Amino acid sequence: MPKLSQTLQSLLQPLLAIVVGLAVGAIAILIVGGSVMETYAEMWNGAFGSFYFFTNTLARATPIILIGLGVALAFRAGFFNLGAEGQLILGGLSAAMTALYVPGPGWLKLLLAIIAGIVAGGIWSAFAGWLDTRFRMNLLITTLLLNYIAVFFASYMVSHPFMDRTGSAAMAQTLMIDNAAWLPKLFQGMSVHAGFLFAAISTILLFLYMRYTVSGYEVRMLGGNPLFAAYGGVNRGRLMLISMFVSGGLAGLAGAGEVLGTQYRFIDGSLAAPGYAWSGIMATLLASSHPIGTLLAALLLAALQTGGMGVERNTDVPLEISSLIQAVLILFVSARISYSFIKNRKKARAADGSSS
Amino acid sequence: MDLLLDPTLYSSMLRAVTPILLAALGGALCARVGLFNVGLEGLILIGAFSGIVGNHLTGNIWLALLFAMLCVMLFSLMFAFITIHLKANVIVVGVAINFLAMGLTTFSLRAIFNVKGSYRDTNMVGLPRWDIPLVQDIPWLGKIISGHSPLVYLGLLMVGVLYVYMFRTVSGFRLRAAGENPIASRSLGIRVTRYQYGAMLACGALCGLAGAQLSLGQLTMFSEGMSSGRGFIALVATMLGQANPLGVGASSLLFGFTSSLGSRLQGMALPTQFTSMLPFVVTLLAMFFFRNKNQMADARRSNESSR
Repeated sequence: MPKLSQTLQSLLQPLLAIVVGLAVGAIAILIVGGSVMETYAEMWNGAFGSFYFFTNTLARATPIILIGLGVALAFRAGFFNLGAEGQLILGGLSAAMTALYVPGPGWLKLLLAIIAGIVAGGIWSAFAGWLDTRFRMNLLITTLLLNYIAVFFASYMVSHPFMDRTGSAAMAQTLMIDNAAWLPKLFQGMSVHAGFLFAAISTILLFLYMRYTVSGYEVRMLGGNPLFAAYGGVNRGRLMLISMFVSGGLAGLAGAGEVLGTQYRFIDGSLAAPGYAWSGIMATLLASSHPIGTLLAALLLAALQTGGMGVERNTDVPLEISSLIQAVLILFVSARISYSFIKNRKKARAADGSSS
Repeated sequence: MDLLLDPTLYSSMLRAVTPILLAALGGALCARVGLFNVGLEGLILIGAFSGIVGNHLTGNIWLALLFAMLCVMLFSLMFAFITIHLKANVIVVGVAINFLAMGLTTFSLRAIFNVKGSYRDTNMVGLPRWDIPLVQDIPWLGKIISGHSPLVYLGLLMVGVLYVYMFRTVSGFRLRAAGENPIASRSLGIRVTRYQYGAMLACGALCGLAGAQLSLGQLTMFSEGMSSGRGFIALVATMLGQANPLGVGASSLLFGFTSSLGSRLQGMALPTQFTSMLPFVVTLLAMFFFRNKNQMADARRSNESSR
């Protein structure tokens, strides 16, 4: 019985958050003078209204899911990996470079490009992990700093040595990747590509890994109680490097997927502008680092974002309504407001009079 | 060498560094009471926006500053309530605050001014520049020190004020004790929660000023996400300076110096990407060299966040 109520409680939290998020959104819509029902109807249509919009949502969710999973793994191990953006961008850049400049048949290029993306993202992330284990440099800060370095580096690469100079438009982008090395689309004419399958498979793998393997248990133990983990003989440094590598690797895979499946070239700023990295972190926070929950949360966020575009197209309410709803969602969930509020009340009543 | 002697280099450094410095000092206060404030970025953004709104509503620059401070304090109060009272993880809430700031400012930009991307009003008056009577006549130094917005001087002043407060007053000592060991301080009758709220609110006020310097200091405009990572830099500066106001000041200046040096080097055939990267690389290196005393790690451990 406690198991069931626990599951219910963990479900209640996000559902309540969605309700509160939508309620705050409704207030905002009223403030700008829109119709709440109409706006939300447009939002629903923009996200799920037709098969085309639905696949759009899936396409947008793909990198968010992958990044979210990576961040979730690191969170579970107790590390705040805020470097998803840099890892994503380096992954995308390396995938583009490999697909463009490695000789061979298309399938080989594709395979190598995906691997290159994973490795680049993984190494960039593991580097931050190494700085932490070896030199005790705070991971949160180094991952943030490494983001900027990665962004500027990628921007340099595509605007100087590897810039596409064939077209008349002087855009900071690489050449177009040969279409034999493209990730196939899942449906003809729709934007969702095979990367979504990677995301779905990774979700299941990560779930199984965390749940049923010894090293998955070690990761959870390290995150849950580092002292206990150390006492139990868990090598923190080694585990940190590995989990950071996988975490960054997933972000790198997300970048590779976007480059090989959607844009077919690396365009400066195109991976950073939609805010995939921060959305992925949001998804993880919403799902409190549960892999399947992260997938669902990523779908929800992607739906809010594509739905927001629908709202922008068809009503006077600005697109930013969805970022507002997202922020309220995340704040509500992260604070566990309802739950801990009740708990605090009880505690305060029990310890009546004592100040704390 | 001419480049390094150019007074405008240092003058632009002071201007660029002020938002970072103010926010970093706020971050230092939070760190000292055991709260690792990742939300600086969002708080600066709210400050920048509410500064413009205040200016738009009142038409008075000083009231606008006050408005910005109050708005950000409201948000930091919420932040404090969630982390201190509801005991949520401070880093997660900080990240959430950043999202909220981004969403709220872009939405309000559309809702209030009905524009997208950025808002500027040529009728608005920005912060005045103060030419300091005697100082501005000093040959080389005068050009650097004189002619800035009042917030630049306030930022520099705050370094000293906070240093004296933290290390030379009883209240400051209690504040540090509250962060160092909350349980022991509580047993001595120090109201830990009150100090935490106080530090958070002061941090909000400082971030409000930081934002106002950004939006009203030079350009009198607001653009989406105009804090553009300054809050994170401030966080790094807090960390690098080990939450000591003097250290925070020095590390902010280091960052400001490298970034204005970087933009100066752009003229010399170096790709802009490398010059913009320079401050981040230097900060990373600085972290590497000054990493012994782990004040922040202690602060976070006491709050059971991160690890």
